Amino acid sequence: MISKRVNRLLKKSFEGFIESVPSYSSLAVFFDYLKVKSVVKEGQAPFDFIKGFLERMIDQPAKDVEEANVVVKLPVLYDGDDLDFVAQQHQLSRDEVISIHTAKQYRVFMIGFLPGFPYMGSVDERIASPRKNSPRTVVPAGSVGIAGIQTGIYQQVSPGGWQLIGRTPMKIFDVKKESPCLLKPGDAVKFYSIDKTEFEKLNEY
Amino acid sequence: MSIKILKPVMLTTLVSDGREGFRSLGIGPGGAMDNFAMRVANYLVGNEHTAVIELGYSSAEILFQQDQLACVTGKGFTLLADEQEVSLWKPFKLKANAVLKIIKSAPGAWAYLSVHGGWKAETWLGSTTTNLSAGAGGFYGKALQKNDVVEWNGNKFQINETKVLPWGISINELNDVYSPASEIRCMPSIETDLLSPQSKGKFISDEFIISSQSNRMGYRLKGSALSLSERIEMISSPVDFGTIQLLPDGNLIVLMADHQTTGGYPRIASVIKADQPKLSQLLPGDKVNFKMITSKEAEVEFLSREQKIKELKRNCITRFNDYFR
Repeated sequence: MISKRVNRLLKKSFEGFIESVPSYSSLAVFFDYLKVKSVVKEGQAPFDFIKGFLERMIDQPAKDVEEANVVVKLPVLYDGDDLDFVAQQHQLSRDEVISIHTAKQYRVFMIGFLPGFPYMGSVDERIASPRKNSPRTVVPAGSVGIAGIQTGIYQQVSPGGWQLIGRTPMKIFDVKKESPCLLKPGDAVKFYSIDKTEFEKLNEY
Repeated sequence: MSIKILKPVMLTTLVSDGREGFRSLGIGPGGAMDNFAMRVANYLVGNEHTAVIELGYSSAEILFQQDQLACVTGKGFTLLADEQEVSLWKPFKLKANAVLKIIKSAPGAWAYLSVHGGWKAETWLGSTTTNLSAGAGGFYGKALQKNDVVEWNGNKFQINETKVLPWGISINELNDVYSPASEIRCMPSIETDLLSPQSKGKFISDEFIISSQSNRMGYRLKGSALSLSERIEMISSPVDFGTIQLLPDGNLIVLMADHQTTGGYPRIASVIKADQPKLSQLLPGDKVNFKMITSKEAEVEFLSREQKIKELKRNCITRFNDYFR
Protein backbone atom coordinates (compact mmCIF):
# COMPACT_ATOMS: atom_id res chain seq x y z
CA MET A 1 0.00 0.00 0.00
CA ILE A 2 1.19 3.44 -0.90
CA SER A 3 1.08 4.89 2.66
CA LYS A 4 3.73 2.32 3.63
CA ARG A 5 6.04 3.74 1.03
CA VAL A 6 5.20 7.24 2.20
CA ASN A 7 6.29 6.49 5.72
CA ARG A 8 9.60 5.24 4.49
CA LEU A 9 10.00 8.26 2.29
CA LEU A 10 9.32 10.57 5.22
CA LYS A 11 11.92 8.85 7.34
CA LYS A 12 14.61 9.08 4.70
CA SER A 13 13.65 12.49 3.51
CA PHE A 14 16.19 14.66 1.74
CA GLU A 15 17.18 18.28 2.20
CA GLY A 16 14.34 20.44 0.88
CA PHE A 17 11.67 17.73 1.20
CA ILE A 18 8.32 19.28 2.17
CA GLU A 19 5.83 16.44 2.09
CA SER A 20 4.42 13.60 0.08
CA VAL A 21 0.74 13.25 -0.75
CA PRO A 22 -0.46 9.70 -1.25
CA SER A 23 -3.46 8.76 -3.33
CA TYR A 24 -4.75 5.44 -4.69
CA SER A 25 -2.21 4.84 -7.37
CA SER A 26 0.11 7.80 -7.24
CA LEU A 27 2.30 9.76 -4.92
CA ALA A 28 3.02 13.47 -5.25
CA VAL A 29 6.25 14.71 -3.72
CA PHE A 30 6.52 18.40 -2.85
CA PHE A 31 9.94 19.92 -2.41
CA ASP A 32 11.60 23.29 -2.00
CA TYR A 33 13.18 23.75 -5.39
CA LEU A 34 15.81 26.24 -4.27
CA LYS A 35 16.92 24.12 -1.30
CA VAL A 36 17.25 20.96 -3.37
CA LYS A 37 19.05 22.93 -6.06
CA SER A 38 21.59 24.09 -3.50
CA VAL A 39 22.52 20.53 -2.47
CA VAL A 40 22.53 18.64 -5.77
CA LYS A 41 25.55 18.38 -8.05
CA GLU A 42 26.28 21.33 -10.34
CA GLY A 43 24.20 20.95 -13.49
CA GLN A 44 21.83 18.34 -12.06
CA ALA A 45 18.14 19.27 -12.20
CA PRO A 46 16.33 18.98 -8.82
CA PHE A 47 13.54 17.07 -10.57
CA ASP A 48 15.98 14.43 -11.84
CA PHE A 49 17.59 14.13 -8.42
CA ILE A 50 14.24 13.44 -6.74
CA LYS A 51 13.13 11.10 -9.48
CA GLY A 52 16.27 9.03 -8.95
CA PHE A 53 15.78 9.07 -5.19
CA LEU A 54 12.19 7.79 -5.50
CA GLU A 55 13.08 5.13 -8.03
CA ARG A 56 15.76 3.70 -5.74
CA MET A 57 13.29 3.70 -2.85
CA ILE A 58 10.41 2.09 -4.73
CA ASP A 59 12.67 -0.78 -5.77
CA GLN A 60 13.11 -1.85 -2.16
CA PRO A 61 10.50 -4.47 -1.21
CA ALA A 62 7.83 -3.60 1.37
CA LYS A 63 8.24 -6.00 4.31
CA ASP A 64 4.78 -6.07 5.83
CA VAL A 65 1.20 -5.15 4.97
CA GLU A 66 -0.71 -2.62 7.05
CA GLU A 67 -4.12 -3.74 8.30
CA ALA A 68 -6.93 -1.45 9.36
CA ASN A 69 -7.16 -1.58 13.14
CA VAL A 70 -9.86 1.02 13.76
CA VAL A 71 -13.46 0.63 12.63
CA VAL A 72 -15.40 3.89 12.74
CA LYS A 73 -19.18 3.51 12.60
CA LEU A 74 -20.94 6.48 11.04
CA PRO A 75 -24.71 7.15 10.95
CA VAL A 76 -26.20 8.43 7.69
CA LEU A 77 -29.60 9.88 6.84
CA TYR A 78 -30.04 8.64 3.27
CA ASP A 79 -31.95 11.56 1.72
CA GLY A 80 -29.36 12.88 -0.78
CA ASP A 81 -30.39 14.82 -3.88
CA ASP A 82 -28.75 12.23 -6.15
CA LEU A 83 -30.08 9.10 -4.41
CA ASP A 84 -32.82 8.80 -7.05
CA PHE A 85 -30.29 9.29 -9.86
CA VAL A 86 -28.04 6.52 -8.47
CA ALA A 87 -31.04 4.20 -8.00
CA GLN A 88 -32.48 4.85 -11.46
CA GLN A 89 -29.13 4.48 -13.18
CA HIS A 90 -28.81 0.95 -11.81
CA GLN A 91 -32.52 0.03 -11.86
CA LEU A 92 -32.58 -0.23 -8.09
CA SER A 93 -34.96 1.11 -5.44
CA ARG A 94 -33.75 3.77 -2.97
CA ASP A 95 -33.79 1.12 -0.22
CA GLU A 96 -31.66 -1.22 -2.29
CA VAL A 97 -29.04 1.51 -2.79
CA ILE A 98 -29.04 2.13 0.97
CA SER A 99 -28.66 -1.53 1.86
CA ILE A 100 -25.85 -1.98 -0.65
CA HIS A 101 -24.03 1.14 0.63
CA THR A 102 -24.33 0.10 4.30
CA ALA A 103 -23.44 -3.57 3.72
CA LYS A 104 -19.72 -3.09 3.16
CA GLN A 105 -16.90 -1.95 5.39
CA TYR A 106 -14.83 0.66 3.57
CA ARG A 107 -11.17 1.54 3.81
CA VAL A 108 -9.97 5.16 4.02
CA PHE A 109 -7.50 5.27 1.15
CA MET A 110 -6.54 8.89 1.42
CA ILE A 111 -7.54 12.28 2.82
CA GLY A 112 -7.74 15.06 0.32
CA PHE A 113 -9.67 17.59 -1.71
CA LEU A 114 -10.70 19.50 1.44
CA PRO A 115 -9.40 19.45 5.04
CA GLY A 116 -10.19 15.96 6.33
CA PHE A 117 -12.19 14.74 3.31
CA PRO A 118 -11.88 10.91 3.34
CA TYR A 119 -11.72 8.95 0.10
CA MET A 120 -13.09 5.51 0.84
CA GLY A 121 -13.77 2.39 -1.14
CA SER A 122 -14.53 0.43 -2.85
CA VAL A 123 -18.31 0.62 -3.23
CA ASP A 124 -20.19 -2.26 -4.78
CA GLU A 125 -20.24 -2.04 -8.60
CA ARG A 126 -24.07 -2.08 -8.40
CA ILE A 127 -24.08 1.49 -7.01
CA ALA A 128 -20.88 2.89 -8.54
CA SER A 129 -21.73 6.17 -10.30
CA PRO A 130 -19.86 8.74 -12.40
CA ARG A 131 -19.26 12.26 -11.11
CA LYS A 132 -21.65 15.01 -12.13
CA ASN A 133 -20.81 16.62 -15.47
CA SER A 134 -20.52 20.02 -13.86
CA PRO A 135 -19.76 20.19 -10.14
CA ARG A 136 -22.33 21.72 -7.79
CA THR A 137 -21.20 25.08 -6.45
CA VAL A 138 -22.61 24.29 -2.99
CA VAL A 139 -22.70 20.88 -1.30
CA PRO A 140 -24.13 20.82 2.27
CA ALA A 141 -21.84 19.84 5.17
CA GLY A 142 -21.96 16.16 6.15
CA SER A 143 -23.01 15.03 2.66
CA VAL A 144 -22.08 11.44 1.79
CA GLY A 145 -21.35 10.93 -1.88
CA ILE A 146 -20.28 8.44 -4.51
CA ALA A 147 -17.83 9.03 -7.36
CA GLY A 148 -16.94 6.00 -9.44
CA ILE A 149 -16.22 3.22 -6.95
CA GLN A 150 -15.28 5.71 -4.23
CA THR A 151 -17.42 6.98 -1.39
CA GLY A 152 -16.64 10.09 0.66
CA ILE A 153 -17.93 12.68 3.10
CA TYR A 154 -18.05 16.46 2.56
CA GLN A 155 -17.28 17.54 6.12
CA GLN A 156 -18.05 21.16 5.33
CA VAL A 157 -19.97 23.23 2.80
CA SER A 158 -18.04 23.29 -0.46
CA PRO A 159 -18.32 22.92 -4.21
CA GLY A 160 -18.29 19.31 -5.36
CA GLY A 161 -19.05 16.88 -8.15
CA TRP A 162 -19.90 13.66 -6.31
CA GLN A 163 -23.38 12.08 -6.43
CA LEU A 164 -24.95 12.85 -3.05
CA ILE A 165 -26.84 9.99 -1.42
CA GLY A 166 -27.16 11.15 2.21
CA ARG A 167 -25.81 13.14 5.15
CA THR A 168 -23.99 12.15 8.32
CA PRO A 169 -24.67 14.23 11.45
CA MET A 170 -21.15 13.53 12.77
CA LYS A 171 -18.32 16.04 12.48
CA ILE A 172 -15.30 14.32 10.99
CA PHE A 173 -13.08 17.43 10.98
CA ASP A 174 -12.65 19.85 13.89
CA VAL A 175 -10.17 22.67 13.60
CA LYS A 176 -10.03 23.15 17.39
CA LYS A 177 -8.72 19.66 17.98
CA GLU A 178 -5.01 19.03 18.08
CA SER A 179 -5.42 16.34 15.42
CA PRO A 180 -8.30 17.82 13.47
CA CYS A 181 -9.22 14.73 11.40
CA LEU A 182 -11.43 11.97 12.85
CA LEU A 183 -10.45 9.58 10.06
CA LYS A 184 -6.95 8.71 8.93
CA PRO A 185 -5.68 6.82 5.91
CA GLY A 186 -5.93 3.11 6.66
CA ASP A 187 -8.99 3.33 8.98
CA ALA A 188 -12.10 1.24 8.29
CA VAL A 189 -15.54 2.85 8.10
CA LYS A 190 -18.98 1.26 8.30
CA PHE A 191 -22.11 3.32 7.58
CA TYR A 192 -25.54 2.67 9.07
CA SER A 193 -28.89 4.17 8.16
CA ILE A 194 -30.76 6.51 10.51
CA ASP A 195 -34.01 8.44 10.23
CA LYS A 196 -34.61 12.17 10.43
CA THR A 197 -35.38 12.16 14.18
CA GLU A 198 -32.11 10.41 15.00
CA PHE A 199 -30.27 12.71 12.63
CA GLU A 200 -31.55 15.81 14.45
CA LYS A 201 -30.63 14.28 17.79
CA LEU A 202 -27.05 13.51 16.72
CA ASN A 203 -26.47 16.58 14.55
CA GLU A 204 -23.09 18.16 15.36
CA TYR A 205 -23.15 20.76 12.56
CA MET B 1 -1.53 50.09 17.06
CA SER B 2 -4.21 49.14 14.63
CA ILE B 3 -6.42 49.85 11.66
CA LYS B 4 -10.17 49.71 11.45
CA ILE B 5 -11.91 48.47 8.34
CA LEU B 6 -14.40 51.16 7.31
CA LYS B 7 -15.34 49.50 4.06
CA PRO B 8 -14.15 45.98 3.24
CA VAL B 9 -14.01 44.51 -0.24
CA MET B 10 -15.88 41.33 -1.12
CA LEU B 11 -12.98 39.23 0.13
CA THR B 12 -10.41 40.69 2.50
CA THR B 13 -8.13 38.20 4.25
CA LEU B 14 -4.75 38.01 5.95
CA VAL B 15 -2.38 35.99 3.80
CA SER B 16 1.27 34.99 4.07
CA ASP B 17 3.54 32.26 2.78
CA GLY B 18 1.62 29.02 2.41
CA ARG B 19 0.97 26.41 5.09
CA GLU B 20 3.21 23.64 3.79
CA GLY B 21 3.25 20.08 5.07
CA PHE B 22 -0.43 19.18 5.60
CA ARG B 23 -1.67 18.33 2.14
CA SER B 24 -1.88 14.67 3.13
CA LEU B 25 -4.64 15.65 5.62
CA GLY B 26 -6.42 17.56 2.91
CA ILE B 27 -5.15 20.91 4.21
CA GLY B 28 -3.76 22.90 1.29
CA PRO B 29 -1.05 25.57 1.55
CA GLY B 30 -3.32 28.52 0.67
CA GLY B 31 -1.40 31.81 0.84
CA ALA B 32 -1.60 34.83 -1.46
CA MET B 33 -3.24 34.67 -4.88
CA ASP B 34 -0.44 36.89 -6.17
CA ASN B 35 2.59 35.66 -4.29
CA PHE B 36 4.90 38.19 -5.98
CA ALA B 37 2.86 41.23 -4.89
CA MET B 38 2.44 39.81 -1.37
CA ARG B 39 6.16 39.23 -0.87
CA VAL B 40 7.19 42.57 -2.33
CA ALA B 41 4.61 44.41 -0.18
CA ASN B 42 6.53 43.11 2.82
CA TYR B 43 9.98 44.05 1.51
CA LEU B 44 8.92 47.60 0.64
CA VAL B 45 8.15 48.38 4.30
CA GLY B 46 11.22 46.59 5.65
CA ASN B 47 9.61 43.25 6.58
CA GLU B 48 10.68 39.74 5.62
CA HIS B 49 7.85 37.21 6.01
CA THR B 50 4.76 38.62 7.69
CA ALA B 51 1.06 38.38 6.99
CA VAL B 52 -0.32 40.94 4.51
CA ILE B 53 -3.94 41.99 3.94
CA GLU B 54 -5.23 40.76 0.58
CA LEU B 55 -8.10 42.72 -0.96
CA GLY B 56 -9.92 41.59 -4.06
CA TYR B 57 -12.12 42.96 -6.81
CA SER B 58 -13.57 46.19 -5.34
CA SER B 59 -12.75 49.36 -3.38
CA ALA B 60 -11.93 49.50 0.33
CA GLU B 61 -11.51 52.17 3.01
CA ILE B 62 -9.26 51.71 6.00
CA LEU B 63 -8.71 53.96 9.00
CA PHE B 64 -5.20 54.10 10.47
CA GLN B 65 -5.61 54.69 14.20
CA GLN B 66 -1.91 55.54 14.77
CA ASP B 67 1.04 56.76 12.68
CA GLN B 68 2.42 54.02 10.46
CA LEU B 69 4.47 53.16 7.41
CA ALA B 70 2.39 51.24 4.87
CA CYS B 71 2.45 50.01 1.30
CA VAL B 72 -0.04 48.64 -1.23
CA THR B 73 1.02 46.42 -4.12
CA GLY B 74 -1.02 44.56 -6.70
CA LYS B 75 -2.83 45.45 -9.88
CA GLY B 76 -5.90 47.48 -10.77
CA PHE B 77 -6.12 49.97 -7.93
CA THR B 78 -5.36 53.62 -7.19
CA LEU B 79 -4.75 54.95 -3.70
CA LEU B 80 -5.80 57.98 -1.72
CA ALA B 81 -4.05 58.44 1.60
CA ASP B 82 -5.61 61.24 3.59
CA GLU B 83 -7.09 62.49 0.27
CA GLN B 84 -3.60 62.66 -1.25
CA GLU B 85 -2.81 60.46 -4.20
CA VAL B 86 -0.09 57.90 -3.45
CA SER B 87 1.30 55.18 -5.71
CA LEU B 88 0.98 51.44 -5.68
CA TRP B 89 4.31 49.63 -5.18
CA LYS B 90 5.78 52.49 -3.11
CA PRO B 91 5.83 52.77 0.68
CA PHE B 92 4.20 55.82 2.28
CA LYS B 93 3.90 57.36 5.73
CA LEU B 94 0.46 57.88 7.21
CA LYS B 95 -0.60 60.12 10.11
CA ALA B 96 -2.86 58.78 12.82
CA ASN B 97 -6.55 59.04 11.83
CA ALA B 98 -5.69 59.06 8.12
CA VAL B 99 -8.09 57.16 5.90
CA LEU B 100 -6.53 55.02 3.17
CA LYS B 101 -8.81 54.52 0.18
CA ILE B 102 -7.92 51.59 -2.07
CA ILE B 103 -9.92 52.28 -5.21
CA LYS B 104 -10.61 49.73 -7.94
CA SER B 105 -9.82 51.66 -11.09
CA ALA B 106 -8.13 49.52 -13.76
CA PRO B 107 -7.75 45.94 -14.98
CA GLY B 108 -6.43 43.74 -12.15
CA ALA B 109 -7.91 41.82 -9.26
CA TRP B 110 -5.91 41.81 -6.03
CA ALA B 111 -4.19 44.39 -3.81
CA TYR B 112 -1.86 43.72 -0.87
CA LEU B 113 -1.63 46.05 2.13
CA SER B 114 1.43 45.75 4.34
CA VAL B 115 2.61 47.76 7.36
CA HIS B 116 6.03 47.94 8.96
CA GLY B 117 6.33 45.16 11.55
CA GLY B 118 3.51 43.16 9.99
CA TRP B 119 -0.08 42.46 11.00
CA LYS B 120 -0.84 40.44 14.11
CA ALA B 121 -2.16 37.13 12.85
CA GLU B 122 -3.17 33.81 14.38
CA THR B 123 -0.86 30.90 13.58
CA TRP B 124 -2.47 27.56 12.72
CA LEU B 125 -0.35 24.53 11.85
CA GLY B 126 2.74 26.67 11.48
CA SER B 127 1.42 29.44 9.22
CA THR B 128 -0.43 32.73 9.68
CA THR B 129 -2.23 32.56 6.34
CA THR B 130 -6.03 32.35 6.53
CA ASN B 131 -7.61 28.99 5.72
CA LEU B 132 -11.23 29.99 5.14
CA SER B 133 -12.44 26.45 4.56
CA ALA B 134 -11.05 25.24 7.91
CA GLY B 135 -11.82 28.57 9.61
CA ALA B 136 -8.30 28.95 11.03
CA GLY B 137 -5.21 31.16 10.76
CA GLY B 138 -4.97 34.88 9.99
CA PHE B 139 -7.82 36.94 11.46
CA TYR B 140 -9.59 34.21 13.48
CA GLY B 141 -9.85 32.13 10.31
CA LYS B 142 -12.25 34.65 8.80
CA ALA B 143 -12.46 37.31 6.13
CA LEU B 144 -12.34 40.88 7.45
CA GLN B 145 -15.67 42.66 7.82
CA LYS B 146 -16.70 46.28 8.34
CA ASN B 147 -15.52 47.65 11.72
CA ASP B 148 -13.03 44.82 12.32
CA VAL B 149 -9.86 46.08 14.01
CA VAL B 150 -6.57 44.56 12.90
CA GLU B 151 -3.49 45.20 15.00
CA TRP B 152 0.09 45.46 13.92
CA ASN B 153 3.28 44.48 15.71
CA GLY B 154 5.14 47.35 17.41
CA ASN B 155 5.17 51.01 16.38
CA LYS B 156 8.47 52.75 15.82
CA PHE B 157 7.15 55.60 13.74
CA GLN B 158 6.53 59.21 14.63
CA ILE B 159 5.15 60.74 11.46
CA ASN B 160 4.72 64.43 10.65
CA GLU B 161 2.91 64.20 7.36
CA THR B 162 1.48 61.77 4.85
CA LYS B 163 4.31 61.24 2.41
CA VAL B 164 5.40 58.79 -0.29
CA LEU B 165 8.92 57.48 0.30
CA PRO B 166 11.55 57.59 -2.43
CA TRP B 167 11.78 53.91 -3.36
CA GLY B 168 9.58 51.35 -5.02
CA ILE B 169 9.20 48.89 -7.86
CA SER B 170 9.63 50.23 -11.41
CA ILE B 171 7.24 49.81 -14.34
CA ASN B 172 9.85 47.67 -16.11
CA GLU B 173 10.14 45.34 -13.18
CA LEU B 174 6.35 45.02 -13.07
CA ASN B 175 6.01 44.43 -16.80
CA ASP B 176 8.41 41.56 -16.44
CA VAL B 177 5.87 39.86 -14.13
CA TYR B 178 2.50 41.04 -15.49
CA SER B 179 2.92 41.59 -19.26
CA PRO B 180 1.63 40.57 -21.71
CA ALA B 181 -1.39 40.08 -19.46
CA SER B 182 -3.18 37.39 -21.43
CA GLU B 183 -0.19 35.15 -22.21
CA ILE B 184 -0.04 32.37 -19.62
CA ARG B 185 2.74 29.81 -19.91
CA CYS B 186 2.09 26.17 -18.99
CA MET B 187 4.04 22.97 -18.85
CA PRO B 188 2.72 19.47 -19.51
CA SER B 189 1.01 17.59 -16.67
CA ILE B 190 0.21 13.95 -15.98
CA GLU B 191 -2.77 13.56 -18.33
CA THR B 192 -1.67 15.97 -21.09
CA ASP B 193 -1.18 13.14 -23.56
CA LEU B 194 -4.73 11.87 -23.03
CA LEU B 195 -6.07 14.98 -24.80
CA SER B 196 -7.24 14.33 -28.35
CA PRO B 197 -4.75 15.72 -30.90
CA GLN B 198 -7.37 18.27 -31.99
CA SER B 199 -7.93 19.44 -28.39
CA LYS B 200 -4.20 19.68 -27.78
CA GLY B 201 -4.03 22.09 -30.71
CA LYS B 202 -7.03 24.11 -29.55
CA PHE B 203 -5.62 24.45 -26.05
CA ILE B 204 -2.71 26.52 -27.34
CA SER B 205 -4.31 28.16 -30.40
CA ASP B 206 -7.69 29.22 -29.01
CA GLU B 207 -8.54 32.04 -26.65
CA PHE B 208 -10.20 31.30 -23.30
CA ILE B 209 -12.15 33.71 -21.10
CA ILE B 210 -12.10 33.81 -17.28
CA SER B 211 -15.65 32.96 -16.18
CA SER B 212 -17.58 34.72 -13.44
CA GLN B 213 -17.54 31.45 -11.48
CA SER B 214 -13.99 32.15 -10.33
CA ASN B 215 -12.63 32.64 -6.85
CA ARG B 216 -9.62 31.93 -4.63
CA MET B 217 -10.09 28.18 -5.17
CA GLY B 218 -10.04 28.20 -8.93
CA TYR B 219 -10.61 30.18 -12.12
CA ARG B 220 -13.08 28.56 -14.48
CA LEU B 221 -12.57 29.23 -18.17
CA LYS B 222 -14.99 29.55 -21.05
CA GLY B 223 -13.96 28.70 -24.60
CA SER B 224 -13.65 25.77 -26.98
CA ALA B 225 -14.80 22.51 -25.44
CA LEU B 226 -11.84 20.13 -25.19
CA SER B 227 -11.96 16.37 -25.00
CA LEU B 228 -9.82 13.34 -24.32
CA SER B 229 -9.07 10.74 -26.99
CA GLU B 230 -11.20 8.34 -24.97
CA ARG B 231 -13.39 8.86 -21.92
CA ILE B 232 -11.87 7.77 -18.60
CA GLU B 233 -13.29 7.78 -15.08
CA MET B 234 -10.35 8.97 -13.02
CA ILE B 235 -9.55 8.18 -9.44
CA SER B 236 -8.63 11.17 -7.31
CA SER B 237 -5.02 12.26 -7.49
CA PRO B 238 -2.89 15.09 -6.09
CA VAL B 239 -3.21 18.58 -7.60
CA ASP B 240 -1.49 21.93 -6.99
CA PHE B 241 -1.73 25.71 -7.57
CA GLY B 242 -1.73 26.10 -11.33
CA THR B 243 -3.07 22.63 -12.19
CA ILE B 244 -5.45 22.90 -15.17
CA GLN B 245 -8.22 20.33 -15.00
CA LEU B 246 -10.53 19.29 -17.80
CA LEU B 247 -14.13 18.99 -16.60
CA PRO B 248 -16.40 16.38 -18.18
CA ASP B 249 -18.38 19.11 -19.97
CA GLY B 250 -15.20 20.08 -21.87
CA ASN B 251 -14.45 23.27 -19.92
CA LEU B 252 -11.26 24.03 -18.03
CA ILE B 253 -10.60 25.10 -14.48
CA VAL B 254 -7.25 26.40 -13.22
CA LEU B 255 -6.67 25.69 -9.53
CA MET B 256 -5.62 28.76 -7.55
CA ALA B 257 -4.29 29.52 -4.03
CA ASP B 258 -7.12 27.89 -2.05
CA HIS B 259 -7.16 24.83 -4.28
CA GLN B 260 -8.16 21.41 -3.06
CA THR B 261 -5.28 19.00 -2.38
CA THR B 262 -6.57 16.25 -4.67
CA GLY B 263 -8.95 16.16 -7.59
CA GLY B 264 -10.60 13.67 -9.87
CA TYR B 265 -10.48 15.40 -13.23
CA PRO B 266 -7.71 14.97 -15.82
CA ARG B 267 -4.77 17.33 -15.28
CA ILE B 268 -4.03 18.55 -18.78
CA ALA B 269 -1.36 21.17 -17.96
CA SER B 270 0.15 23.26 -15.15
CA VAL B 271 0.53 27.03 -15.16
CA ILE B 272 4.21 27.70 -14.43
CA LYS B 273 5.06 29.30 -11.10
CA ALA B 274 6.45 32.45 -12.72
CA ASP B 275 3.08 33.16 -14.41
CA GLN B 276 0.78 32.40 -11.47
CA PRO B 277 0.83 36.03 -10.17
CA LYS B 278 -0.11 37.29 -13.63
CA LEU B 279 -2.96 34.79 -13.97
CA SER B 280 -4.23 35.64 -10.48
CA GLN B 281 -4.60 39.28 -11.49
CA LEU B 282 -6.99 38.48 -14.37
CA LEU B 283 -10.68 39.26 -13.89
CA PRO B 284 -13.82 37.50 -15.08
CA GLY B 285 -14.16 38.44 -18.75
CA ASP B 286 -10.40 38.72 -19.33
CA LYS B 287 -8.75 36.71 -22.11
CA VAL B 288 -6.20 33.94 -21.64
CA ASN B 289 -3.89 32.50 -24.28
CA PHE B 290 -1.96 29.45 -23.15
CA LYS B 291 1.55 28.81 -24.33
CA MET B 292 3.14 25.41 -23.74
CA ILE B 293 6.78 25.30 -22.63
CA THR B 294 8.89 22.45 -21.28
CA SER B 295 9.44 21.81 -17.58
CA LYS B 296 13.13 22.66 -18.09
CA GLU B 297 12.16 26.08 -19.46
CA ALA B 298 9.74 26.54 -16.56
CA GLU B 299 12.61 25.83 -14.14
CA VAL B 300 14.72 28.51 -15.81
CA GLU B 301 11.85 31.03 -15.55
CA PHE B 302 11.32 30.16 -11.89
CA LEU B 303 15.00 30.54 -11.03
CA SER B 304 15.34 33.86 -12.83
CA ARG B 305 12.16 35.17 -11.11
CA GLU B 306 13.43 34.10 -7.69
CA GLN B 307 16.75 35.76 -8.44
CA LYS B 308 14.97 39.02 -9.30
CA ILE B 309 12.85 38.86 -6.16
CA LYS B 310 16.02 38.38 -4.14
CA GLU B 311 17.52 41.52 -5.71
CA LEU B 312 14.33 43.52 -5.12
CA LYS B 313 14.36 42.41 -1.52
CA ARG B 314 17.96 43.41 -1.03
CA ASN B 315 17.36 46.83 -2.61
CA CYS B 316 14.23 47.46 -0.54
CA ILE B 317 15.92 46.55 2.74
CA THR B 318 18.95 48.72 1.91
CA ARG B 319 16.80 51.74 0.98
CA PHE B 320 14.68 51.26 4.08
CA ASN B 321 17.68 51.05 6.39
CA ASP B 322 19.39 54.07 4.78
CA TYR B 323 16.26 56.19 5.10
CA PHE B 324 15.52 55.37 8.71
CA ARG B 325 19.11 55.27 9.96
